Amino acid sequence: ELFQNIQVQKEIIANIRTKPWPIRRKLKVLKQAREIVLKYEGRLTRTRGYQAAGADLLKKISRVLYNIVVLFIPWEMRIKKIESHFGSGVASYFIFLRWLFGINIVLTIMTGAFIVLPELLAGAPFGTTRSKTIPKDHLASAQDLDTIWSLGARLSSLIFTGYLQYSVLFYGYYGNVRKIGSAGYRLPLAYFMVGMAVFAYSFITLLRKMAKNSRMSLAGASDENYTFCWRVFCAWDYLIGNPEAAESKGAAIVNSIRVSISCIQQTQINLSLAVLISLRILANILVLLSLTGSIYIIYFVVDRSQKLEQEKPELTLWEKNEVSVVVSLITMIAPSAFELVAQLEMYHPRTSLRFQLARVLVLYLGNLYSLIIALLDKVNSMSSAVSRNLSDSTSYLATISQSTEDNLSTIIPDITERQNSTLTRTLLEMQSLLNHTVLYEYNTRSQQDPCWETYVGQEMLKLSIIDMIFTVASILLIDFIRGLVVRYLSDCCCWDLESKFPEYGEFKIAENVLHLIYNQGMIWMGAFFSPCLPAFNVLKLVGLMYLRSWAVLTCNVPHQQVFRASRSNNFYLTMLLFMLFLCMLPTIFAIVRYRPSQYCGPFSGQEKIYDIISETIANDFPLWFSKVMSYVTSPVVVLPALLLLFMLIYYLQSIARSLKVTNSQLRLQLQNVSYSKLNIIMMYFTRLQAPEGSDKKPEQESDITSMESSARSASPPRRNGSITNFESPVRHGNSIRTITQSVSRPDIPRAAGATQSPTHTYPCHMLHSLISRHSGYLGSTSGSCRSKSYHNMAYKPCTRYAENIHSDPLFRKTLRPMHTEPAVITAQSYVGHRAHSTRYVIVNEHEARKKLMRSNTRLPRHYRLADEPTEIVELYPRNVKCYIPRPPHRSHQPHLSEEEEEEDPKSSTRRGSFRQSKRPRPLSDRHQTTQFYIGDTINSQLSMEQGLYGDEEEGDQEEDWVNDPQTNIRGPESAHRYGEPYVKPKTKHKVEPSLTESDSASLASSSDQQNSSTDQYIQVIHNKKKYLKSNAKLTKTKSKSSVKLNVSGTNDLVCSNV
Amino acid sequence: MGGTSSKLPKDLLSEYQELTFLTKQEILMAHKIFSELQDRENGLYSSRVSMEKILTLPELKSNPFRKRICHVFSTSDMKDGSLSFEDFLDLLSAFSDSATLEIKSHYAFRIFDFDDDGTLDARDLEKLVNSLTGETDDTRLTGEEMRQLISNILEESDIDKDGTVNLSEFQHVISRSPDFVSSFKIVL
Repeated sequence: ELFQNIQVQKEIIANIRTKPWPIRRKLKVLKQAREIVLKYEGRLTRTRGYQAAGADLLKKISRVLYNIVVLFIPWEMRIKKIESHFGSGVASYFIFLRWLFGINIVLTIMTGAFIVLPELLAGAPFGTTRSKTIPKDHLASAQDLDTIWSLGARLSSLIFTGYLQYSVLFYGYYGNVRKIGSAGYRLPLAYFMVGMAVFAYSFITLLRKMAKNSRMSLAGASDENYTFCWRVFCAWDYLIGNPEAAESKGAAIVNSIRVSISCIQQTQINLSLAVLISLRILANILVLLSLTGSIYIIYFVVDRSQKLEQEKPELTLWEKNEVSVVVSLITMIAPSAFELVAQLEMYHPRTSLRFQLARVLVLYLGNLYSLIIALLDKVNSMSSAVSRNLSDSTSYLATISQSTEDNLSTIIPDITERQNSTLTRTLLEMQSLLNHTVLYEYNTRSQQDPCWETYVGQEMLKLSIIDMIFTVASILLIDFIRGLVVRYLSDCCCWDLESKFPEYGEFKIAENVLHLIYNQGMIWMGAFFSPCLPAFNVLKLVGLMYLRSWAVLTCNVPHQQVFRASRSNNFYLTMLLFMLFLCMLPTIFAIVRYRPSQYCGPFSGQEKIYDIISETIANDFPLWFSKVMSYVTSPVVVLPALLLLFMLIYYLQSIARSLKVTNSQLRLQLQNVSYSKLNIIMMYFTRLQAPEGSDKKPEQESDITSMESSARSASPPRRNGSITNFESPVRHGNSIRTITQSVSRPDIPRAAGATQSPTHTYPCHMLHSLISRHSGYLGSTSGSCRSKSYHNMAYKPCTRYAENIHSDPLFRKTLRPMHTEPAVITAQSYVGHRAHSTRYVIVNEHEARKKLMRSNTRLPRHYRLADEPTEIVELYPRNVKCYIPRPPHRSHQPHLSEEEEEEDPKSSTRRGSFRQSKRPRPLSDRHQTTQFYIGDTINSQLSMEQGLYGDEEEGDQEEDWVNDPQTNIRGPESAHRYGEPYVKPKTKHKVEPSLTESDSASLASSSDQQNSSTDQYIQVIHNKKKYLKSNAKLTKTKSKSSVKLNVSGTNDLVCSNV
Repeated sequence: MGGTSSKLPKDLLSEYQELTFLTKQEILMAHKIFSELQDRENGLYSSRVSMEKILTLPELKSNPFRKRICHVFSTSDMKDGSLSFEDFLDLLSAFSDSATLEIKSHYAFRIFDFDDDGTLDARDLEKLVNSLTGETDDTRLTGEEMRQLISNILEESDIDKDGTVNLSEFQHVISRSPDFVSSFKIVL
């Protein structure tokens, strides 16, 4: 028990954060718990003490580390500042940006460490090999100041002919020597592996993040919808600190509430349906047109640039960058056009936002894809010239080894032949690859290595750079200038610039996020061909972060329809995943399908890029390994493996489906239970009112009297009875002291209201004594006991209590017509406590779900456990009797608790009503019996381990259970008034059978029985409340003094118990 | 904790870290802000800062529930909503990033429980909606709308059908909301 005690205390310490109490209380509880742990822990074993010290140290270190880590989260302050101005929606954009930044950092490190650095350090130096030297006639222009200077402005010329093309930036620079350096670093292999790892890493992080997000928000799993509640309870974004943002947020809330109400009322048909539909069709046509238009423009531009390239030897800046500029322009302008079009449709704002996002995404994807296809097509269009030019370029081709030439010649006829038939894309790209190499040979003639990989990488880099330039420009021009104009010219303009036409630029979260995704897609697409692209993207993201945050803070207002933050997080990620997949396709396709360039890059001379793997396996691994690999990759293994995978997927999916069904069923049950509870209560009332004679009664009576007599000798005089009762347990301690303290502070005012009926004090003392004795007995519960009660009383106001008070005078007055009285009381208690019963249900449901996630609910559980024995102890004498007459019922219906419950009240009603005719005493009797039954059934239920089902049923039981405390309290109270003998049996029970009973009970409950303990928990809350009030009113000083006397009690008792 | 002792004792600091969801930096920051608020209180030294002072913080200034927040977190006997430093830390802890959903929903419930009776009844809900929408006539909901809204809310959340939303029902609803945790935050 000592050990348990310490465990409990430790849990208190561990979970103290999660308690919704004021700090001061937490401090006190923490100190106490620590004291106890310190005091007793050393006594158990020495090693445990060391362990504890070690754990302490660890905790401290981890805290320090955490503090340090927090310091290094980039832009934390910046984001928080934005968050506090514009709310979490806008901040989610920046958080997303930061997350992308993190991913890109990792990608950069991967490529940098495994590809770029080795190549730089150990690779053949610049100018030694053909792929690394700039052709002679380009050398002049490359060294031209103009070209070098033109990093930003004349990028294309730089990239095409300058140093950059022959640098680590691009695929073509890397040598195809299998092992480089003295250590024999396998660069080509590393290149391939890293290229794949980039995708793998992105996928894994993305999926993990998504899984975490969806785990965090239960909403993903359940389709429950609390539209109105969320709209009201979760509407306000507490982060908003900017008055303007607050205003717009308020307006948005009003809007959303109004809209949802009007949705319910079904009164929003302001346009004729035909017009609406035609408008929407029109809008969709417009969007489609603009999409196809953009695709066509991209094609056209690519085509034109290619033609220009053919015709002119020297291109102007515009002609060189035409493609990327046009693509960037389209990505910038089209979304706004879509938005305009969307206004035609008159959808609900949320729907229109979704449409908008979908369209923009399609646009971006279309742009990327059409660009890639067009690039390849551009090469393809010259395929006719290939054969002719092949001879032209023989001067160059002569340098090519014979074998490769054979390859080419065999492939070309093949292609031209196939060209006539279908023009599938694969073919297209296949062709293009080939043509590309040839094209370059034709184009540049003397340039040594046409390198389609480099070419793709260049295009991607160019696009990325131009995109960045456009983003910056749009931020500066559209947002900043507009903001300036609106702010400073609004005075000298005839209309209000701030609220009418130009306004401030809105920060469109969703569009901006999409743009980020698009950007990232470009990176993924090009990363294989240009290893430094992630590094460039890192720079770009950093710049974007600062620029955006500055722009948001200076000249933007938040979007009107705020895209909800956390839900959208997963939405963003889903889009990103989509993008990643789609961007991976072309790359993977190229790798699988294309023949790498012959004269450049790490894979030159190979048939396929992935041949590097098989080559390595064949050459550098032991023979058995390659054998094994050949087996593994043979259809014999692959096909079953695939099949297995499919089966696994199917299996998991079916499990998920069944879980979903279970979920909905459980929810249904929950609803049913909450309704049936109502019915049961009603039944209970009706039975109560119909008095019935019972045979059991006489023997019970006799028993009671015998108990009384036995107790009388031991019991002190009547009035003081309860008080002494109260005081004697006080020596056990701790708990009492704390309770009284806590009570005396905050609840005096409330208790003052409750002081009307003096009779209350007694039951409270009784209960208190119970609790305190009990806690003394178990030793450990004191701290938690106190805290629990304190929490509850501090928070729970005493309205219900007032009800009780009202009922008490009634009770007193109508001594005789007792039959009706209990009904009234129970009714009241019912009203008051129903809420708690439901609460219980919900709590349990939570527990079932969260059990794995957190263990902080365990604390109350323990605490509750501790209290259970008390109840049972109290009941004990009577239970015996009630138990005996009806064992069969319980034994075979352990889980039909509802029926049982019905029965319990019935029987108790019988007894109770009978006795009521004579005395008030039976009230308490009756409830005690019910209590016992319930407690018992719970145990049996638990022993049967019914799991969730049991939980819900207990919700029912708890109904009655919850009612008990009040009546319980009232019982002794009346006993006090109407005769001492009735007090005594009670007190006596408590003292005598307590040990054995509580022992067994705690044994029973200590295993896992959170459920039964929950009931106890709730009950105890009520008790405490009473206690508080009484305490505040009557015996504040007394309790305190007694505390002083008996502070040391607990320790003694605990020790003795051990 | 006056202007002179602008540094927190070390052990207290670690205690606070233990008891709240705040990091060391955040606590120090909070302390700085809090002592600035204190300093402005001319003459009288007091460990509490009145509600008016607290409400001048930009983080709370535009919050429609600012007064409720102060009242809920105040441990003052006077019920004036004044906060001690520890109350202030409590507030920040509950509104911090790492606070659990349980804590957050608990305090949210208390904030919304305008009459402190432990349940959200129709009147509480009405007040809640009104403070969200503001008191001006054009934003305020009409009686009919309000009635409809409240009945809808109760329909959704009131599982036991007793006409009020209690803490557990509230937490049940809130726990399903994807946005709550991310928006129920205040950062200094």
